Amino acid sequence: MKYVKFFFFFLLVGFLLSGGLYANDTIKIGLLVPLTGPAAADGFSAHSSVKLALERVNSTGGLLGKKVELIAYDDRADGKEAVALARKLIEQDKVVAVVGGSYSTPSRAVAPIFQEEKIPFVAAYAVHPDITKAGDYCFRNGFLGTVEGKSAAYVAVKMLKAKRIALLVSDNDFGRTLAEGFKYYMNKYAKGIATIVSEQAYPFQEKDFKAYLTKIKQENPDLIFASGYYFQTGPIVKQAREMGINAHILGEEGADSPKLLEIAGPSAEGFVIVTNLNRDDKRKEVQQFLKTYEERFKIQPDMVGASAYDAFMIICDSIKRAKSTKGPDIRNAIANIKNYDALTGQIKSFVKGEVVKDVQVQIVKNGRFRYLGVVTDPELITP
Amino acid sequence: MQGLIEQLLNGIAMGSIYALVTLGLALVYGIMRILHVAHAAVYTVGAYAGLYIFHGTGNLFLAFIGAMVLCAIMGIIIERFLYYPLMKYPPFVPLIGSITVLLAIEEVCRLVAGPYIITFPAKLPFPEAHIGGIFISSTLMAVYCITASVLFILWYITTKTSLGLAMRATSQDISMASATGINSHMIVSITFIIGSAIAAIAGILVGIYYNQVYPTMGTVPAYKTLALIVVGGLGSVPGAVVASLLLGIGETILIGYANIPLPRDALAFIAMIGVLMWRSEGIMGSSR
Repeated sequence: MKYVKFFFFFLLVGFLLSGGLYANDTIKIGLLVPLTGPAAADGFSAHSSVKLALERVNSTGGLLGKKVELIAYDDRADGKEAVALARKLIEQDKVVAVVGGSYSTPSRAVAPIFQEEKIPFVAAYAVHPDITKAGDYCFRNGFLGTVEGKSAAYVAVKMLKAKRIALLVSDNDFGRTLAEGFKYYMNKYAKGIATIVSEQAYPFQEKDFKAYLTKIKQENPDLIFASGYYFQTGPIVKQAREMGINAHILGEEGADSPKLLEIAGPSAEGFVIVTNLNRDDKRKEVQQFLKTYEERFKIQPDMVGASAYDAFMIICDSIKRAKSTKGPDIRNAIANIKNYDALTGQIKSFVKGEVVKDVQVQIVKNGRFRYLGVVTDPELITP
Repeated sequence: MQGLIEQLLNGIAMGSIYALVTLGLALVYGIMRILHVAHAAVYTVGAYAGLYIFHGTGNLFLAFIGAMVLCAIMGIIIERFLYYPLMKYPPFVPLIGSITVLLAIEEVCRLVAGPYIITFPAKLPFPEAHIGGIFISSTLMAVYCITASVLFILWYITTKTSLGLAMRATSQDISMASATGINSHMIVSITFIIGSAIAAIAGILVGIYYNQVYPTMGTVPAYKTLALIVVGGLGSVPGAVVASLLLGIGETILIGYANIPLPRDALAFIAMIGVLMWRSEGIMGSSR
């Protein structure tokens, strides 16, 4: 009996020691993603892409001679959930930096927490301004909602030559912020050239857009700007075409998903988005990522995944350049990034935590997003 | 004018879909006095079952039948193993159980089918119609026809058959019905079968109508139908149908004509508060 006890004691000590050693041997990076609930598809995309990035880093020797370990938690795109998990990442897991792979609502809830603890937080694709306003430890690799909204208006007025524009806005942080940017551009640059003929907001879970579209049809616009996610814009595109509306439909990164193409079906042809990822980017790494992702996960990659990949890589690159895993050192390295080659284009720099890079314009052709143009005007893309 | 008629047609379609989901809830409340929130999960499973059977066989009719059978079985299981044992507790106990089952089934759907929205690329074989300048698409037509048939069959069963008589007796007073020789537990099960089979129809119809099936598709119906059965008069089936149609029309009119930034989902609850304040028996309920 005594030996048995001793054996267990020995085992326990062994576990504790190995756990301790293990913990010291890796660099832990946190990830908050919505793996369940309505945003689960985006969460899957972000999580899968970060796993590809992790494999890439570890297969090339890790960072500072250590392996990188990913600690991913499911925040269900919920603010309350995310706050609890942020505390867990900080206190239990002791992560050195965190990738925000979730939506605006949870991301803006956790940003101040990481700020307070001086842990760098890079939001992959959430658009709300408050995230980076939390402080100098918070960064954004996706576009600020207003930047994207302004760019969308530019595309509508300059590239698609729209005169009468209808707005169909998803009624949450994301949709509202985009619409604000859109209207800002219209007021400042498009006075007398184009007008907004109607503006309607719809609730998050909306599925039936016929009532909104019937109203839009009466206004006879030549472009509809739909600020929402793929599960909202997809049905909008489908139902609009079913109802015989032939106006251009312009979406944004929320609609950047292979699922949109599936939901809208053939109606998706000619649908335009402003986004973060150019599928026709010639660079080898981008094509490699697109190919590997589709082979591995049997679904087309999207902007959410590419942005999360970039956010993770930005952190890794900064740890490498800082030669340190201390929060302030990593933060300074991220803030000093210059001309970094990311999947989602060349990052010129971060201004007050906001990324500065070109905005991509894509159009659906033969059931895939393809290159249509790019917005490079510094006045529009600088936050 | 044309716009108004088109909005009304949209509204009736939306109301019809609400009605199909709410029916099961109204039936169950009428007979057991339980808020059957898990009904929304049955509806989700119905959509998935229909989708998989449709993909497997390519036959939409089989998809409807298969999903109805599966949902009916699921309804009985929920009734036998969840509500029946909890009947002796205060009503909030089965309600909590019901919410738990809703969440659990949603997550099971997610685990089995994945978090993605799956499309339902089936064509419902109904004709399109052009009346004047107004166009009714075949999907709209399908929603009208299917809802009308379901309502007619349900009306026939509950008013013209002895089963319907037994159901009405049981819903008035379970123990009195048992005393007159009605196998009331059996009647309760049959009610679940009917309600759940209708939920399967609703799930498939919604899946095709919006071309989307996904694990959380029951979330909005789960709370909206609660408001609807209150507005209709708790347990009143005709009331639930009328309330659903009115809500569908009200929502589209609100979106189409009122320029107030009120989310459409609020309307159901405003109606519910109004009913609770001024006519607590609901629009069709009797003050029993």
